[in-house]
Amino acid sequence: MKNLIQDTLNKIKKEHIAPEPRWKFLARKFGAWAALGLIVLLGAVSISVVYYLLSQLDWDMPEFMHQNIFIYGLSVFPYFWSILLGIFIVAAFLSVRKTETGYRFGGLKIISLTIAGIFIIGFIMSAIGFDARFNRVMMRDVPYYAQHTITKETQWMQPEKGFLAGTIRSVSGDELAINDLNGLDWDVQLDNETLVRPSADISQGQMIKIIGTKNGAHNFRANEIRPWVGQGTMGSGQYRDRMNSNGK
Amino acid sequence: MDEKNALTDTQLADLATKNPEAFGLLMERYQEPLFHYIRRITQLPADDIEDLLQEIFIKIYQKLNEYDSALKFSSWAYRIAHNHVIDYFRRVSARPQTNMLEDYEWEKIIHSGIHIEKDIVNKDCVEKIKICIQNLPMNYREVLILRFVEENDYEEIMDILRKPKGSVATLIARGKKILIEKMKENNINCF
Repeated sequence: MKNLIQDTLNKIKKEHIAPEPRWKFLARKFGAWAALGLIVLLGAVSISVVYYLLSQLDWDMPEFMHQNIFIYGLSVFPYFWSILLGIFIVAAFLSVRKTETGYRFGGLKIISLTIAGIFIIGFIMSAIGFDARFNRVMMRDVPYYAQHTITKETQWMQPEKGFLAGTIRSVSGDELAINDLNGLDWDVQLDNETLVRPSADISQGQMIKIIGTKNGAHNFRANEIRPWVGQGTMGSGQYRDRMNSNGK
Repeated sequence: MDEKNALTDTQLADLATKNPEAFGLLMERYQEPLFHYIRRITQLPADDIEDLLQEIFIKIYQKLNEYDSALKFSSWAYRIAHNHVIDYFRRVSARPQTNMLEDYEWEKIIHSGIHIEKDIVNKDCVEKIKICIQNLPMNYREVLILRFVEENDYEEIMDILRKPKGSVATLIARGKKILIEKMKENNINCF
């Protein structure tokens, strides 16, 4: 074997080869961890918005639409965010493997820890209301997002299918004047069969949801009235029979 | 120099970042093991191996600041050598061969794959088995060499190949299984 050691040392000196600076390696190392952190954070945003979109829907609606709950679930499922979530989980897995010691962890361990991290941060985001705010910004500022996202608003703005939501402009006897979520005015008729949920406040300025039948271009007959938030079963714990019996 | 000889690899690596002469000592320690490792996983003549080894040493020198003492220096150096050899074969678009093993090295692999109760009967058998090992895919061959010829433990192989322990164990088990299957296919029954 030729004098490899001396040759190599000579080459190092002659060509002024030097060890690369430490900061470069540290930047690469921390860059990989920062990328992982960002991916987990984006995954957490996705899961929190998925949860928000699903939790704000009224899951008893298929009953009124004579639809199977499973089919309904498929029709309202937030595919966009779920696919993004899947992509972020895969990206997080690859990102862990790219870190200096990432190869030491088994695939199952990485996936489990990543999912746990995403869920925990996503839960915190939901708890502080970030999910709703983020979705609102997306609905307002991102083209095509609003048209392709099933929200509580789109779910309740289907008068043809018997669902209407809006703000009460006035109450007069058995008739309500409603300004719907798209800004259109409706006359809503109530009768003795109309069920008003316990915590639904039928007074001017209140937002309500109505299940019923569309009678004309701006006419709607109400079978059931709920408050905008929730199903309205809270409060007395009982259904109130008739709007009139409450003196409204 | 004696004082320097007493230093650990990690201490020498640290010293070498400031003084290239200290790197000479590290090269002294790893020249032989890395030379044989490259020889075992490639089919190259000694001169070419020495050229590759010089490139590897320069790469190790350039990356000295990257070395993390949580890892064994030898594993880290072998990893750089492994990656460099893979890059080399990618560059020259050739497939590394494994017929540069010495007879005792072949036998180590053969013994690992088969529960030997008797000594290998004749040289002809060894030759036939060598062909089977040569035909193993590169990843299985290399892991068998690292485990049974280089006699590295799983942790070291994991650090050299940058693969999780489970994958290393799977590669070794599959490599042995494929070897036995190939021997059956070729009606090799010398034991």
